Amino acid sequence: MKKIKYTARIKRYNPEEDKSYWQDFEVEVEDSLTVLELLMYIKDKIDPTLTFRAFCRSAICGSCAMIINNRAGLACKIQAKDKIKNGVIKIEPLKTLKPVRDLVVDQEPAFDKLKKIKPYLEPDPKVVPDNLKSESLVLPEEFARYDKQTDCILCMACYGQCNALKGDDQYLGPFQLTKVFRFIMDTRDGMDVEERIKLAEDHGIWECVQCQMCFAACPKGISSCDDILELRRIAKDTGEENIATRRAKFWFATVFETGQIDKLNLPAVALNNEKGEKARENLIKEFKQRGIPEDEFGPKPFDGIDKFRNFIKKIEKEL
Amino acid sequence: MKKIGIYPGCCFQGADIHNYDITTKFLENMGVEGILLERAACCGGGVIDETNKKIVYGLNARNIALAEKEGVDLYTPCNTCYMIIAKTKLALDSDPELKEKVNEILAEEGLEYKGTAKIYHTLNLIRDFVGLDEYKKRIKRQISGIKVAPYYGCHVLAPNEVAVDDPENPTILREVLEPLGVEIIEGYKDEDTCCGYHARFTEPEQKERLAIKPLDGAKEAGADIVATPCPLCHKAMDGYDEPILQVTQLINVACGATPEEAGINLNKTEVKLSL
Ligand code: SF4
Ligand code: SF4
Ligand code: FES
Repeated sequence: MKKIKYTARIKRYNPEEDKSYWQDFEVEVEDSLTVLELLMYIKDKIDPTLTFRAFCRSAICGSCAMIINNRAGLACKIQAKDKIKNGVIKIEPLKTLKPVRDLVVDQEPAFDKLKKIKPYLEPDPKVVPDNLKSESLVLPEEFARYDKQTDCILCMACYGQCNALKGDDQYLGPFQLTKVFRFIMDTRDGMDVEERIKLAEDHGIWECVQCQMCFAACPKGISSCDDILELRRIAKDTGEENIATRRAKFWFATVFETGQIDKLNLPAVALNNEKGEKARENLIKEFKQRGIPEDEFGPKPFDGIDKFRNFIKKIEKEL
Repeated sequence: MKKIGIYPGCCFQGADIHNYDITTKFLENMGVEGILLERAACCGGGVIDETNKKIVYGLNARNIALAEKEGVDLYTPCNTCYMIIAKTKLALDSDPELKEKVNEILAEEGLEYKGTAKIYHTLNLIRDFVGLDEYKKRIKRQISGIKVAPYYGCHVLAPNEVAVDDPENPTILREVLEPLGVEIIEGYKDEDTCCGYHARFTEPEQKERLAIKPLDGAKEAGADIVATPCPLCHKAMDGYDEPILQVTQLINVACGATPEEAGINLNKTEVKLSL
């Protein structure tokens, strides 16, 4: 086995002094180590006080999520040698949770948010039998709609660098919202969709900025950002109207009409208040000042728009 | 002359119409002939999914097919358009059944998605289509005495499958900015925090809270301006204390355009460039 030399730059946290600091560990180790094995090596051979959380070592228990080279992931799943850049591998705790010590973060706030969305099945008596002898029937195609989402191991890698949380620390979080989607899709669930959506709307789906970082982080390939779009679709179709649902409807309507969104009127339609009207007036003023001709204020349908509209209709129906 | 298809997204619409001039001027400066894909439509913007996700596949298969019909690759300056179109391409290329079904419907418009066109964004266009050496040759003058904080925005680095550079340690934006003669400020606070653009009409306050963070981080680190490749990041972050410009605007200036020709006078927050 080949040995390689590099620096493990680890962000440590000392709760006694409430101090975060970077520490470099020079190592010469086998090139086959996972990041977790590297941490275990350091703890064993160099500094027994180095603290991290891990258990299964095989990407199942969800304990060892951390930020490795600026991206969240599981220490036990990632090969250390793939992450060495200019002789250094950078390891730090998840960013949106408070450190307890070194790489261990306090997961409690994220679990509290998970509890808030009621992450359990409320059996629908029409589907789930009331005795233990018979099973409830779920067809493969029904299960396929949330199969992927059931792979979540609650590792919080997605949560650990979610951008929405940087704007609002009360934001529910990606895996919590994926859970909402998972139960809405479950044919055995008896809770009203409206109720589940309400739970997902409170510091939830509308605060997501669609940055894709949750998807990039997830060791199981779960795309919470896409689940959030699905939840928004369901909210638009079942819930109360709001700025976001008005925007989504207008957006699609104008793309269908012209191929492009009508940015002149979008703020007014979405906001649906005086401020929106003001935004429209200001835009028109700006256009005029800049000498933009009036027929260029909004989008015009391109040649062959009828064929385009037919195309969209067919995609909706047949794809 | 090399040709490329210009994809017209919403960043060329309405009050942002000048982005089209910035883009065509940039291509001209790079010695690339831009062919406007006139019948192209909105990429979906991460919003049409809220109506029907399949439409997003259809729209972008069609957008790419329009480029293929012209025999060119597709170029968009927008991070989000780039990510969504590139993601659709991945989906179509890995799912023959989806591709076939889309193509059946596309045929009625005389179009076919073949999967031959590459998807370019300003950053990988400069590196892979123009070439960094050629790019450097085309820079005519230096924008000196200014400290610039590179700001990638999210969608050129995530998801990993479509990232234009190593998403963990990207260097491409530095490589594009350095030849312009500017001083680079990297490693500032919140340099990887999202601009919040996509919350503009879902939760406006969320956008406000986020947009200011990277700007404040850059300012604290001593940067005079922030430079982003993305017109949406630009839109979201213009109007605060710290000024922000698009990379293509700086490139155009370094290729000889006056600041006004580069659309810099249209910034809400004033920028002063010394040449
Ligand atoms: S896409 Fe939304 S949920 Fe996912 S990390 Fe970004 S802000 Fe968070
Ligand atoms: S969605 Fe993925 S990253 Fe997030 S907690 Fe579940 S397994 Fe971990
Ligand atoms: S140790 Fe269990 S997931 Fe890494």
